[in-house]
Amino acid sequence: MMQKLSENILDKFSMDFLRSQVLKNAYGNNDTVIAARDPRVLLAWYLFFGLVPWFVQDMTFLLGCFVLVMITTLLARVAGLVLLLFGVGVFSQTGYLLLVTWLFGGDASAIMPLLILTLKVATISLASVTVFSGLDPDRLANGLMWYGCPERLSFSISYAYRILPMLMEEFQNVLLSYRLRGNPPAHDTFAGKVRYLAYQVKIIMYAFYPLMLNTAKRSRTTVEALEIRGYRYAATNKEVRRIKLAGLRLTWDDGIFAALSLLWVAATLLLGTLV
Amino acid sequence: MNQTQNKTMNQSQKLMVFVLTMSLYGLATLFTELIPKFQVGIVEFSVEYFLFIPLVLAMLFDPLSAALGAATGELVFSEIMLGQFGGLGEAEKFITVTLGVYLAGRLVRDPRNTRMVGIAAILGTGAQLLMGTIVDICKVQFAVEDFEAVAGLPESVFATEGFAFLNDLLFSGILFCLLPTLYLVPKLYGKIEPLLGMSPRTPETAAPALSAKTLAGCAVAFVCAVAAELLATSGLELIDWEASWAESGTAVAVGMIAAAVLALAVLMVMKKKAEAK
Repeated sequence: MMQKLSENILDKFSMDFLRSQVLKNAYGNNDTVIAARDPRVLLAWYLFFGLVPWFVQDMTFLLGCFVLVMITTLLARVAGLVLLLFGVGVFSQTGYLLLVTWLFGGDASAIMPLLILTLKVATISLASVTVFSGLDPDRLANGLMWYGCPERLSFSISYAYRILPMLMEEFQNVLLSYRLRGNPPAHDTFAGKVRYLAYQVKIIMYAFYPLMLNTAKRSRTTVEALEIRGYRYAATNKEVRRIKLAGLRLTWDDGIFAALSLLWVAATLLLGTLV
Repeated sequence: MNQTQNKTMNQSQKLMVFVLTMSLYGLATLFTELIPKFQVGIVEFSVEYFLFIPLVLAMLFDPLSAALGAATGELVFSEIMLGQFGGLGEAEKFITVTLGVYLAGRLVRDPRNTRMVGIAAILGTGAQLLMGTIVDICKVQFAVEDFEAVAGLPESVFATEGFAFLNDLLFSGILFCLLPTLYLVPKLYGKIEPLLGMSPRTPETAAPALSAKTLAGCAVAFVCAVAAELLATSGLELIDWEASWAESGTAVAVGMIAAAVLALAVLMVMKKKAEAK
């Protein structure tokens, strides 16, 4: 039973699963309500829900914000892996601290501030999950560029989503070839298991040697292709920037989205003052 | 061939180093985000990061491009792609990674000198970890209200952070930064440079040794990192602002709701009209 379970979990976390999750996250949910929003509106929205919760101590307001970003996350239909990471991340940031506080003789009084801290962290993380996972990478990059982020960053985002599946595949191939040729130590005893783990880690380190050489070749090709298209000149040219951003259009739905969020926040504020 | 192998790097070669470091380190941080941490009692053994990748590349190529590429890669691959972007707080990680890698890259003048490579690798990692620890302690101190009042919290924060620093430096630092760097730098030296069309780094072509000016610049950048992090977590003035504004809160909130409803109604009507056309 136990073996089956661990096998099942290991199965889930294979390289292919990872790759498909990342791709699904990037391009798989283009038809959601969130993905259809204008990236500029969403980024401004994120700026509010990513910053304001840090500065507010009011429980009602924080809860209200949390519920709102939870709804938007559900609307964005984010990939399961991202949500799992979010859960683990929130726990490891504050839950761990709570355990240690108890260990050092803290009592129930430690819970309240930590609960507020957890709520803040969760709200901010979910807001970022909504915006950065819900949006198409190219639209996200364009939105960031509109706000004057360096061209390098928006290039990096578009490039990263494109190159990651290829890199993963290559890394997997290198690892497999090492495994084919290698002779791993027997792992029946405990000492053998430790040796086996060390061997695996060593293989991963070694695998980066061919990977580095291959990626060096690939990045030279990429950069030369970019140079041929006049990338470095285009990055600083105003006309190019205007053409690139011409695809962004504000629609009425964007306004409705913003107004609804504002209504929600105002309602929680009202509730906060009444309670 | 000689013409393409210039002594100093040109702009597009710097871009190549940037792209190379970004994609490799991004891939590695994506894994570390997913590899489970296992705990033995209070001791946490985590594969904190594969910092050896940018370290190796910073020692072989232009340190600044490699450092910026590493920080951008981490930001894009493991934060934005996985939806873990933490807003202003990410500035701290960005700057500390950049500084750690840059310092290590500048320290090495001749990559064939193994001892220097080792010292630089462990110093760069240590600097990055130490900066992270300082920022973390400040962060918790400012983020939790009545920090001193919560019994047991101050000690636990110092203990966990200090312990995490030592653990990271001795475990991740040696296993995942020092040893791979010592293995990869001599192996890649002279092999990877021609792939980007340049000649290997020698003491003559290396950037001049670290000057006081560079170190001062790094210190200023670190202060900026701390400031960004604290701004992201404390925001004292904003709390004051919020308090004075909450006194007449009900009226303001009602007004805001009215405005929002009005805006919503207008937008709905406009949309209907636009669709009718």
